[in-house]
Amino acid sequence: MSWDATEDPDDSGDLAVREPPKILIPVRVLKGQTVPEPLVEFLRPAEIVVLGYHVLPDQTPTEQGSMQFEDRAQEAVEDIASGFRGAGGGVETRVVFTHDRNQTVARVADEVGATATLLPNPTSEVEDVLVAVRGSIDVARLVDLVAALLADGDERVTLWGLTGGGGYDTEAAVQRADATLEQRGFDPDRITVETSDSETPIYDIVARSAEFDVIVMGEGGPPVLSAVFGDDAERVAEGAVAPVLVVRDLPEPAEPAEESTTADGETDEGDEQQDDGDGSAD
Amino acid sequence: MFAELLNWRLGHRRGEPAGVNLALSFSRVSPIGTVVMGTGQEEISTTEGANREGEVPERVVEAESPSGETSVTEEGTELERTIGLKGGLAIGVGTMIGAGIFVFPGLAAGQAGPAAAGSFAIGAVIALLVALPASELATAMPKSGGGYYFISRALGALPGAIVGISIWLGLVFATAFYLVGFGNYAAAVLAEAGVAVGGIPVVVPLALLFGVLLTGLNLVGTENAATLQNYVVGLLLTILVLFLSFGGLDAVGVFGSSSTPERFLPFGPLPVFTTAALVFTSYLGFAQVATVAGDIKDPGRNLPLAMVGSVLIVGTLYVATIFVATSAFGSGTLAEFGETAIVEVARNFMGAPGAIVILVAGLLATVSSANASILSTSRAVFALSKDAILPRFASRINLQYGTPHIALAMGGGPVLVLVAFGGVEVLAEVASFLHLVMYGLMCVALIVMRRDEPEWYDPDFRVPAYQLVAGFGAVASFGLILFMKPTSQIIGVAIMVASAGWFGYYANDVSLKGVL
Repeated sequence: MSWDATEDPDDSGDLAVREPPKILIPVRVLKGQTVPEPLVEFLRPAEIVVLGYHVLPDQTPTEQGSMQFEDRAQEAVEDIASGFRGAGGGVETRVVFTHDRNQTVARVADEVGATATLLPNPTSEVEDVLVAVRGSIDVARLVDLVAALLADGDERVTLWGLTGGGGYDTEAAVQRADATLEQRGFDPDRITVETSDSETPIYDIVARSAEFDVIVMGEGGPPVLSAVFGDDAERVAEGAVAPVLVVRDLPEPAEPAEESTTADGETDEGDEQQDDGDGSAD
Repeated sequence: MFAELLNWRLGHRRGEPAGVNLALSFSRVSPIGTVVMGTGQEEISTTEGANREGEVPERVVEAESPSGETSVTEEGTELERTIGLKGGLAIGVGTMIGAGIFVFPGLAAGQAGPAAAGSFAIGAVIALLVALPASELATAMPKSGGGYYFISRALGALPGAIVGISIWLGLVFATAFYLVGFGNYAAAVLAEAGVAVGGIPVVVPLALLFGVLLTGLNLVGTENAATLQNYVVGLLLTILVLFLSFGGLDAVGVFGSSSTPERFLPFGPLPVFTTAALVFTSYLGFAQVATVAGDIKDPGRNLPLAMVGSVLIVGTLYVATIFVATSAFGSGTLAEFGETAIVEVARNFMGAPGAIVILVAGLLATVSSANASILSTSRAVFALSKDAILPRFASRINLQYGTPHIALAMGGGPVLVLVAFGGVEVLAEVASFLHLVMYGLMCVALIVMRRDEPEWYDPDFRVPAYQLVAGFGAVASFGLILFMKPTSQIIGVAIMVASAGWFGYYANDVSLKGVL
């Protein structure tokens, strides 16, 4: 599924998407969260999995929650799904009652083999997309997703490389990403390339989120996973003004059912987030 | 209340037209196949197995995922299992550890002398004999409700209802007992801190205050309650293991101060058994793991490990505690110290700092026991309400906090009444009585299940030599009841009779045997 963008043969602008990317959208349905209309259009080339979840406190059995709220949750998820169906995409729905949001999202993402997870913050018309390139991330997958979603559109794409030391050549990675996008038919005028030094990439990304309509970034290993999906991550999602599309590090295709490492649901690594994600992974 | 019921029906789920339900709640009829009038169109409602309100047992979970990570409902909604082995052990250990170490050593030593260690050991063996059958049943039926669920499905609705309602009230007694224990520790902390209370008895007011606080906290919900419980239990275990290692080394003479030799059985063998009946309250936690069975990950593996493991852990700690305590003081002296005897033991070994650390541990332990019991109570109420043995509105969830406020209040409210009454020994024994009835019946349920082996019965864990284990478990559980004080026995029997009476009045048509 993931391949090296530099070896990708150019099919004369004809964008041969290997398979439609699969986007998991966790939605806190009973809190009235929904998926903004512009995102439905933005994600049209993708297969969608709408995950409606409801978090119950530990005192409340999930069974008890579902007895009272199952119908409402199912309806709300169905509403969201029908929006995507109207736009012509393939949609799958899941409804989960849980005590632990992160465990649920990680499990479902594994089960459906999601390419990316979308944190559906409100947004207006999607015109500017930020692609955050960090060292520890499979840039090829990031670019692949961007190409699949945006090839036919006219959105502006900003490739932003965040260098945090660790010997990873962010500059080269960004250039390669740029080249790949152009190779796949992107008008060079649509692409802006930037690089910055950053000790705290997550926070810097959040800080710039207001300038963009969608942010695409990589999961980049467990510490950042916990930063994006853990308690800090909910802050990122809340802090980020724009919707965030987090590209997952897929397991090797040979073993699609790889165990999730965060299944224990204890994400107390929150403060590690500061010193990780700086590209120290090879 | 009626408005609440009405609301619930209007907002209710699953297919049946709301009109039918409404009509039933107005007309209050429940015979089989009643023609319901007054809905504009007449409909035949099949209310077989309904209670007086026309509510039928609700079936929520339809299937289990093969990975043991979720349960799935009829409509395909997934219910995430979020408690791992650690969490399960924390519930079991956290519920049990409060009483055996921080409340009973003084009382038990006063009754049985150093042989009180034997009483705790007897308790542990009985607990194990029940924990094994309970584990098998729980892996076959990993649903919320624990013992009540197994018994109602294996033996039928009447025994189920008696056990279910008794265990709800049994947990209320247990919670009250833990809270009084908390009051004793809080009072001792005040005394240690030199706060003058002017001779006013502060134990019961403190216990009441904390009972209100704990119920309130559970009502407004903290999402990390389980994680917090894990940390509390971890901290507690660390303190206890350090304390017991030190005390144990001292007792065998490593640190020189020779211990007082005392006759092992100063009062003869009988008090060992009556004391075992009293202190069995210290083991009333392992089955609580089964009340959250619906939330436990990979239940086939984690449920048995958590139940048996927590009994082994606390049993070892209890026996060690009594050994250390009775080697530090004579049992007469321990008895005089009463509920906080262990603090004096710590002071004897390590001076004031030791006393303070143990006081803190005592507060943590009684808090964790009381809290775990309040939560189990609310789950017990939910299980009964889901099966239409209690009114359905008892399982309603508060919209703002997502907590089962009515079920919590049905636990917390009566607890406060009992705390005000305050007799530790009676509270403990009645709680034990009601739990022991459930334990005995769980063993019977296992034997019945194994005899018939219905098609759906497919436990991941099977008790070896089940007739022997479950047979002894049942005899021992019922046997311990005989050693209790008459007052406790009378209260216990009265509660069971009242439970049966309620079932006959309210839910006589409900049938649960083999209904999964």
